[in-house]
Amino acid sequence: MSLAATFDVPQLTRPAPGRVLAWLVAGVLLAMLGSLSLGYRIYGLGQVWTAFFAPDGSEAATVIAGLRLPRALIAPLTGAALGVAGTVVQTLSRNRIASPDTLGLNGGAALAVVLASTVFGVQSLTGLSLAAALGALITSLVVFGVAASAGGLSPLKIVLVGVTFASLSHAVVEVVLTSNEAQLQQLLFWLSGAFVDRPMSHVTTGFPVIALGAMVAFALSRPLDALQADDATAQSLGVPLPLVRGLAFLAVALLTGAAVSMAGPVAFVGLVVPHAARHLVGLRHVWQLPASALVGALYALLADIVARFVIFPVEAPVGAVTAVVGAFVLLVLLRRRAA
Amino acid sequence: MDEPSRIDIADLTLAYGSDIVLDALNLSIPRGRITVLAGPNGCGKSTLLRAIRRLHAPKSGYIMLDGKDIARLGSKDLARQIGLLAQSPSAPADMTVEELVRLGRYPHQSMLQPWSARDTAALERAMDGTGVTHLRGRRIGSLSGGQLQRAWIAMVLAQETEVICLDEPVNHLDMAHQLDCLDLVTRLNREEGRTIVLVLHDLNLAARYADKLVFVHHGRVVASGGPDKMMRPDLIAQVFDVRAEVITDPVHGRPLCIPLGRATGQASNTAPTKLGV
Repeated sequence: MSLAATFDVPQLTRPAPGRVLAWLVAGVLLAMLGSLSLGYRIYGLGQVWTAFFAPDGSEAATVIAGLRLPRALIAPLTGAALGVAGTVVQTLSRNRIASPDTLGLNGGAALAVVLASTVFGVQSLTGLSLAAALGALITSLVVFGVAASAGGLSPLKIVLVGVTFASLSHAVVEVVLTSNEAQLQQLLFWLSGAFVDRPMSHVTTGFPVIALGAMVAFALSRPLDALQADDATAQSLGVPLPLVRGLAFLAVALLTGAAVSMAGPVAFVGLVVPHAARHLVGLRHVWQLPASALVGALYALLADIVARFVIFPVEAPVGAVTAVVGAFVLLVLLRRRAA
Repeated sequence: MDEPSRIDIADLTLAYGSDIVLDALNLSIPRGRITVLAGPNGCGKSTLLRAIRRLHAPKSGYIMLDGKDIARLGSKDLARQIGLLAQSPSAPADMTVEELVRLGRYPHQSMLQPWSARDTAALERAMDGTGVTHLRGRRIGSLSGGQLQRAWIAMVLAQETEVICLDEPVNHLDMAHQLDCLDLVTRLNREEGRTIVLVLHDLNLAARYADKLVFVHHGRVVASGGPDKMMRPDLIAQVFDVRAEVITDPVHGRPLCIPLGRATGQASNTAPTKLGV
């Protein structure tokens, strides 16, 4: 290697990952504040302060603490969960356009909700949320099982089986919905994903599950790093492939199930977020996973705030906002891949 | 060779389903030498290499590493002793060289023992030894074929294994980079005494770099030994189905094979009749 070569080689320069994470934390906190104060009515920081630390029973205090606080918590939790799940899924499948949606988990959750509502007459939000979580878990087990029994958990097989289940469950949802027009309206809102009108109990039930899923994923950081290479390489590095894939899948199911149960299937978050995270901190999961969680939280919070204004004074479902952004990003990714 | 061999393969049979790929194969890999596996396409040489790294469980027979059955070693334990560069390894194009080489440290770490100074030292040494230190921040998708191959070899070096297996490491490389790559492997062997097992397609490269040359044919070892003993027209005809003349490379003094045509009666554009213009 000639010395000259060392000068004209363009190196990738990134800020230190720790610093990036610190900025992201600051961003998330700021966006949460925004989520509390911005909306149909805009409240000042003083009113936010009053609502929490000196509640005076005013309308502002009630709206902030009772209505906006749950969504200012559910949005980042959902976003973080889907962001981490998306990163793990993309590493598992070695496919940058994979996401919990592509694995059929969102579809499975949606199907479970529709069935619970139409067949079993479940009406309560808690009941529907539970159905969603169960749906995601069962779907992941089925997808995992079918892919495994088809001979090895190759990335391609996982995605193929996932896509098959996703379209299957969407088809069933459509059929059930068109034959039950009465419930269409209510379910449609849920099916596009929203953070609005969710009780605090969603946070307290969802948070531990998401924390567990995130911890499992984080504990797998190093084997996931190695899984980014091909199977033979990962295996010869000593990665126990079936064990790592099984645990990673479990983490994805926990994260997606909890996220969908809190907010419904918020589209494309798991697809978009990992790309941003990788761009910011690189490909080591020790950094990539926390960055995905924070970027996901930030993204969901911002999308939720935007959803309050796009068709003001009516709120758009946040899933519609993320779907529009996600579809655009997907097109860019596909274009870049084709180029 | 007097020293005990590093790897002993006894009666190894390996199959994909009911297709037998290696059939009661016996072979010993000498310690601290370069052993090259050669043979025609589909002869089972790559499978043999993968079996040595336990990527395939044998149907029967043993592979002993220093007298211990590798089937009984833990996966990380084995990964600290035998490294493998797969035939066409892949990693995301936006991974940096440093991120790739770091992967080699995986078997040396655990949840309780994260990245240490030793890991850093091994990482730097591996990048230094392969001349990719100045590329550490580059995305591997932007590297040339030769640079990429060096980065992958650095990844295997970072694993710090005594035995290094490389499956056709010079495929897709131009002549200069083929030599670079094999000279690098030779240096590792000579300077650090590592045991190297290579699968090579090019018989002349094999003869030039091998201490021990192994001809694999139809899932069996047809013959093995030093290149001088192995590079015989009759053996080459038997294993590769090629009629060849063997001369001595005037520069390195190694045997050099000049293929003349197919050995069997199949359509062959045979011996070079004078191409006078």
